[in-house]
Amino acid sequence: MECPHIPKISYGQFGKRLREKIAGKRVPLAGSLELTFRCNLRCVHCYLGDARAGIPGKNELSYGEICDLLDQTVDEGCLWLLLTGGEPLLRPDFLEIYTYAKKRGFLVTLFTNGTLITPQIADYLQEWRPFKVEISLYGRTKETYERVTGVPGSYERCLRGIELLLERGLPLRLKTVAITLNKHEIWAIKEYAEGLGANFYFDAMINAGLDGGGDPTKFRLAPEEVVQLDLGDAQRADELRDFCKRALRSPSKPEYSYLCGAGVHSFHIDTYGLLSVCIISRHRSHDLRRGSFHEGWQEFIPQVRYQRASDGSQCNQCELISLCGQCPGWAQLEHGDQEARVEFLCQVAHLRAETLGPPMWERSRTEASEATV
Amino acid sequence: MGSSQEIYRQDGSIVSRRIEDEVILVPIRQNVADLESIYTLNEVGALIWEEIDGQRTTAEILALTVEEFEVSEEEAQKDLTEFIEQLSSIGAITRV
Repeated sequence: MECPHIPKISYGQFGKRLREKIAGKRVPLAGSLELTFRCNLRCVHCYLGDARAGIPGKNELSYGEICDLLDQTVDEGCLWLLLTGGEPLLRPDFLEIYTYAKKRGFLVTLFTNGTLITPQIADYLQEWRPFKVEISLYGRTKETYERVTGVPGSYERCLRGIELLLERGLPLRLKTVAITLNKHEIWAIKEYAEGLGANFYFDAMINAGLDGGGDPTKFRLAPEEVVQLDLGDAQRADELRDFCKRALRSPSKPEYSYLCGAGVHSFHIDTYGLLSVCIISRHRSHDLRRGSFHEGWQEFIPQVRYQRASDGSQCNQCELISLCGQCPGWAQLEHGDQEARVEFLCQVAHLRAETLGPPMWERSRTEASEATV
Repeated sequence: MGSSQEIYRQDGSIVSRRIEDEVILVPIRQNVADLESIYTLNEVGALIWEEIDGQRTTAEILALTVEEFEVSEEEAQKDLTEFIEQLSSIGAITRV
């Protein structure tokens, strides 16, 4: 008989082991659940657009419906759960939903803007500790932050929320988008986060809005600015160099339109109960108010995830595809066509390859262009 | 573990999950175990964990273990005792 001891390992080690063990199998280990589209902020870059005021005639999932969905995802093997929005703390039943998820044994991550965190909520989170909380901090000055969020007083409330979590030793990660309005404060935000002992990351890849509106894209940085920011952070630059080296050494020839783990080990559910492969790519969805999660995961999601690129698809032929953020979800949002090239992503990928890619890539690129001439 | 008639129950501060063939104990509340880590159980541990229901005595759990894994009672007793102690020490079970 094998001795029934209890090895203790970190979540990271366990996640790696689990993924290795199920390699090749589709298991919905990680899910994101949008508790609401509503938000108390009006960030300029937000992909939810007008939906943040709520969509007339549509009802958000109720507490009972959410519990039922969580039960169903547990049965299919979901362990990592992201609660997001909109602003999830706007729901009066947020703590009930959160507690239910904890009691079902999910490792719960919470995405919040931090402005609605009260001492009572922070105390509760300390008692029922989340796996992680991520707060977006859009500026290091009131002026910049509130130019992004559009709400006076939100900067102080966000800082207070951060303070309340840190006072209680909660696992906090600060993040920001890097856009035209706050690009001059990215390093100040990073310095602030690190001074607090919190993890930090930024994202400059702003996708188009879900309602087909192009407004968020107006705030994108130029590709040159994106790469300048990459270079400004030594660790990020090193990671990108490693990634470029691996990706360019053996360019992949993808079989399917989707190249990531979406629909293989992860899924997304929106506030109206629509299941999709991920939070960006939701133009095709399965209504969980009409069908089960099991059906959606086993029958619907593979149809989306394993669609093949058409012969005319330019991007799937590109040797930089694994470096590029191009995917059916982004393309659909930007152009209403899931194979159309997103120029912004294309330019950033090429610039990263040129700037951060290995010399061998530079040489082969030169040879190729000479041969063409 | 003293008497073989002792009864334990699972504490609500730790939840077990079975994902594929991995059985894990997830701490969910403050004041139990180590919230930065996860506990993994092998098949023997998982069977014992599932039998700790606030009703079965340790003697009954021992008998089930011996039957399921075809092992000597002496060996099973030693392992069960250690396992119960470990579960108690991380706050996963409490004595009824």
